[in-house]
Amino acid sequence: MFDKIAGRALVPVGLVVTGFLAVCFVLLYAAIKQVVIRDSIGQANNLAGIVLKSTRYAMMKSDSDLNRAIIQNISAQNGVQHVRIFNKRGVVAFSSKPEEVNRQVDKKAEGCIVCHEKQAPVTTLGNMQKARTFTNTAGDEVLAITAPIYNDPECANAACHFHPATQKVLGTLDIGLSQEATLAALASIRVQMLIFSILTLVLTIAGVVTLLKMIVLVPMRKLQEYTERSERNVDTLRPTDLPYELDKIAESYYFIRIKLNEIEQQSFKSVKDAGVCTNK
Amino acid sequence: MEQAEKNKTGAIGEAASTPQASLRQGLLDEIKRLRRFSNRGLWALSLFLMVSTLAWRDFWFLPAAQVITAALGAPPTPLVTSLVLVLYTFSAIILSLSRMMSGLDHKSSFCHVGYLAGFYLFYYFAEALADNYWAVFGAGFTVLCLESYRIWTFCSERVTRKLEQLAFLDRTGRLPPEEESLYD
Repeated sequence: MFDKIAGRALVPVGLVVTGFLAVCFVLLYAAIKQVVIRDSIGQANNLAGIVLKSTRYAMMKSDSDLNRAIIQNISAQNGVQHVRIFNKRGVVAFSSKPEEVNRQVDKKAEGCIVCHEKQAPVTTLGNMQKARTFTNTAGDEVLAITAPIYNDPECANAACHFHPATQKVLGTLDIGLSQEATLAALASIRVQMLIFSILTLVLTIAGVVTLLKMIVLVPMRKLQEYTERSERNVDTLRPTDLPYELDKIAESYYFIRIKLNEIEQQSFKSVKDAGVCTNK
Repeated sequence: MEQAEKNKTGAIGEAASTPQASLRQGLLDEIKRLRRFSNRGLWALSLFLMVSTLAWRDFWFLPAAQVITAALGAPPTPLVTSLVLVLYTFSAIILSLSRMMSGLDHKSSFCHVGYLAGFYLFYYFAEALADNYWAVFGAGFTVLCLESYRIWTFCSERVTRKLEQLAFLDRTGRLPPEEESLYD
């Protein structure tokens, strides 16, 4: 394989093009995936903000029924996996799943540990830190946002239920969104990129093979056949339409063959003449 | 008298054969060195596969990425590392192809393993190794395969030339005249 021009030329080209394309494919896909996930986290954060704003009035009025109804309605929306509101002690105060209400949550659990890792819990989180992903019991990928419910002046001074102004966080909202649509979009992008990469690879390799064959391999074969034939038959015609370099080689070979032929004929003639003289 | 004559002839013969023998030995040593050197690319590739296995297992023996980040500061973002990786792959391929074209005797395989291990570590520190593992693996495999091919073809050509010189030496008792290559 490596003895022939085709093998020597095509192996590095194939290797380089395939490898570089694969690297670019993986890096591009990773970058796109990051952008898509960051966008979906941003949207989930916005949704968490909407939920907090929606429940704010009911919380101020300490209207549990209204809060429950709002959470039930939001969780009925397609793609929303769960909605929970925890109080300061980590007990589920409201949930889209009624069986979870009044249950204590472990502070070491995923989603809680982000703030409760140290002795003094963290009270402010960035958008990306609020997010976590996990697979639920049904096997669906879920993106969950844990948003703190801050103690605003109107909460601390509300007549209905008093929170001390020193208490920074009153509780947390935990909302889980299905990642199905995001993963489907990523899978579609992956397939499209893969098809595009394979097509580019095939076209590049096919282009290189075609050009190599047309420009180098076929003329080389012609030259090789010419040299082989002219060894048997001196009158073999020189191949036409060869590239400049190969044409020069063919021309040199042609003149060498003519010279060799002349020398052979002269030596044959002199031997013949010598034989005639001896006979005389 | 006859013995003295014999000794004299033997000494002249030895003197004539010693340079030839040393030349022959030199050529054989060079062939041996080239054959050993031709495997250099494969050794580098094997080392890279070993490093990749460690990366695949998420460098379990290293401290957690957060611990290292807390000690050394934030690593470059995965996007910056990816851009540098593309630049590195492109440059390494171009360099290797240029060396292949000019027939240079360059031993650069093992340093690539170091660069690639660096990329694995930067992604590990940025907690983006899972997403970018195959990119570094693909880059390393491509660059090291190309380097192996370059070293192997370079050594094969040199070995063939040395074998021709050896045959010439055995036939004529001297090395063929050094010819300047028409293509250099």
